Amino acid sequence: MKSFFLTAAGLALATALSVGGAMAQSQGGTLVQITQPEPPNLAPYVSTSGPIAQVTSKVFDGLLEYNFDLEPQPSLAESWEVSADGLTITFNLREDVVFHDGTPLTSEDVRFTIMDVLREAHPRGIATFRNVTAVETPDSHTAIFRLDAPAPYLMKALHSAESPILPAHIYAEGDIRAHGNANEPIGSGPFVFTEWRRGEFVRLDRNDNYWRDGQPYLDRIVVRFIADASTRTAVLEQGEAHIAGFGAVPYQDVRRLEALDTIEVTTRGYEMISPIVEIIFNTQEPPFDNQMVRQAVNYAIDRQFVIDNVWFGYGVPASGPISSNFEPSGLFGRGIDFSVPDRIDIANRLLDEAGFPRDADGIRFEIIHDVTPYGEEWQRFGEITVQNLAEIGIRATLRYEDLPTWLARTYTDYDFQLTSNFLFNQADPVIGVHRGIHSDRILPGTVFVNGSRWSSPETDALMNAATVATDAATRQEAYQALVPLVTEASPVAYVLELRYPTVLSTQFSDVITTPIGIYGNYAFTHQR
Amino acid sequence: MKSFNARFYGNPRVYLGLVWLALVLIAALFAGVLAPRDPFAIVGQPFLPPGSEGFLLGTDSLGRDVLAGLIHGARTTLMIAVLSTVAAIAFGTVLGALAGYYGGIVDDILMRLTEFFQTIPWFLFAIVLVAILSPSAMNLVIAIAVVSWPPIARVVRAEVMAVKAREFVQAAVVAGQRDMGILFGQILPNTLSPLIVTGSLMVATAILIESALSFLGLGSPGQMSWGFQIGAGRSFLRDAWWLVTVPGIVILLTVLAINLIGEGLNDALNPRLADL
Repeated sequence: MKSFFLTAAGLALATALSVGGAMAQSQGGTLVQITQPEPPNLAPYVSTSGPIAQVTSKVFDGLLEYNFDLEPQPSLAESWEVSADGLTITFNLREDVVFHDGTPLTSEDVRFTIMDVLREAHPRGIATFRNVTAVETPDSHTAIFRLDAPAPYLMKALHSAESPILPAHIYAEGDIRAHGNANEPIGSGPFVFTEWRRGEFVRLDRNDNYWRDGQPYLDRIVVRFIADASTRTAVLEQGEAHIAGFGAVPYQDVRRLEALDTIEVTTRGYEMISPIVEIIFNTQEPPFDNQMVRQAVNYAIDRQFVIDNVWFGYGVPASGPISSNFEPSGLFGRGIDFSVPDRIDIANRLLDEAGFPRDADGIRFEIIHDVTPYGEEWQRFGEITVQNLAEIGIRATLRYEDLPTWLARTYTDYDFQLTSNFLFNQADPVIGVHRGIHSDRILPGTVFVNGSRWSSPETDALMNAATVATDAATRQEAYQALVPLVTEASPVAYVLELRYPTVLSTQFSDVITTPIGIYGNYAFTHQR
Repeated sequence: MKSFNARFYGNPRVYLGLVWLALVLIAALFAGVLAPRDPFAIVGQPFLPPGSEGFLLGTDSLGRDVLAGLIHGARTTLMIAVLSTVAAIAFGTVLGALAGYYGGIVDDILMRLTEFFQTIPWFLFAIVLVAILSPSAMNLVIAIAVVSWPPIARVVRAEVMAVKAREFVQAAVVAGQRDMGILFGQILPNTLSPLIVTGSLMVATAILIESALSFLGLGSPGQMSWGFQIGAGRSFLRDAWWLVTVPGIVILLTVLAINLIGEGLNDALNPRLADL
């Protein structure tokens, strides 16, 4: 097995180079970001509600940052070492970091954040840091993670949006779930929280004591909350706001904005999020307990039509449960290609073989198709699905319910036949992919896990191997074997990888610099 | 004094209303013949403007025929509007008649109940009902009927109270007719005129409620309706004006037509207005 060791010297060089290249940038400017909807609080350490970290990732730092190939880069940790057995991870912290209240960062802050906060109260952290038994602090700037089983995916979850490092002397006071600073975050990041005017904006001002010398370049970030979609578009169009992502701008409006000289659109910055649009089958009940029927539906879905007409081109057909964003890191596999030219014929043949002949009206059977209650796009996707299924003789009726009802139907009562769904692959397949297909994730009442209730000993074993393997090659092999098996069984039809467009003003440069896009800290962002 | 027919059909506004409503009715009744395909079927390129070959009124964001949607939407919209109005009239009439006829404590209880429903903002109430019951054609009918019956009950109550004091009712009482016989045989037939007028206008309101609910995404998801077409086209107002405009005009004209007919009925049925 290979161990990763990055020398402090190498990292210092890399940092020096990037800083040197950026020194020429001008100071100043206010960047206005649109976040939709308004976050419920500013406590990313206990809540994973999406909008929160779009704000707080500028206030907190993580131990690491990542490049577009999802490789770890130094942040609070200037170097790190993973032992050969994967059971010990040593982080060497920077010594020049101070929190916004002037207190220096120490290894105790790291221990407190990981062990007392994220591992206990963070919805995803509970799983991510499950294997961490202790964080040792031999000196004030060394933190050693002790694990009882290897967890290579942990190294992908240490950026500021996912695992923000908190000042222990502030957040250790009282109950972390109802902390007094939940809406007034204090971190070590490039921007200091100043004000939150509810329903309007959050104001973040430049951190003059930021540990990256010279950064940030911006004087201020204002995060605005605008409930009406067309107003968001208009505000961007007029240059009153400079950046919006995550579908905050309706897709058809993005096309129009893109044509303006003052605006550019990028789909980068979602490589660690990797949203996948899918259709889940209830594999425990007829007719979708039959693998051939599930495959037939998989063939029937016109993926390109959905991409072009519902998401206006912002997507690519999915090739399995794992997003192609993982292809550079090797944790990827390709399954059956369901988009072949003669797919409708294949689907019809499969249904004939499965014993579902067409009746006099050309109907094989009738089903109810539940639609993800996330708004218009999903309703259109459902309507297309109904049309696609009609082509192979399945008459589907749409059902559209509110979110709690739909979640209970899909993940608690399993009272559905076919439902569209939306899952994020996150930073590593262990975190984002296993939950949809592993047998230990069939958890009634827990949302966004294995709702199809399909699993197989073979695929479970492959995922278990990939979870603990410490070298990339072993994990790669496991996923290459896993994906074809999953697409063959088709418990889920993986329809498309959504490529969220981020709308950006050309006034600013170096805004989207990491695979977490608008969850980045904007330390290097500057005016053109 | 002119006959009802002369007063009703001689009114040019009524005539216009009847012509448009007839068109809508024909579309609703013969939707399967006029547009044989599923109105949700993807039949052409998305966003074809009106007048494109094969698509008189263009296509929507998924390439569905807007005209076919209007024709099938007429069926859904009218069916839901008429059924909910019939249900509201039946319920409102019974309640209003009992309250007006018996008076006293019965009147008090029934009218407080009616007022209770009247104090709830009706459109919000309809939204809540559909959200609770889950959107379907049946539940839309229920929701619209539940928010529409109170005015009927009040109109009927007032009419019953007026008619109750007339001599022919007293004669029926003296003749020994039962309460129900008097109420439904003698009194109610004499309250029909205002009921017909209110009911016809209520169909127009029901169309508006149904469209508004569908616009908000609370319509029956499997059935094409005018409100659904507007709701689905709303985001494309700047790119494809016809998706919202065409169904909007159809709703406007239909509601206007029903109002014209309703007012025509009112004029024709009200003897005091007869020769004005």
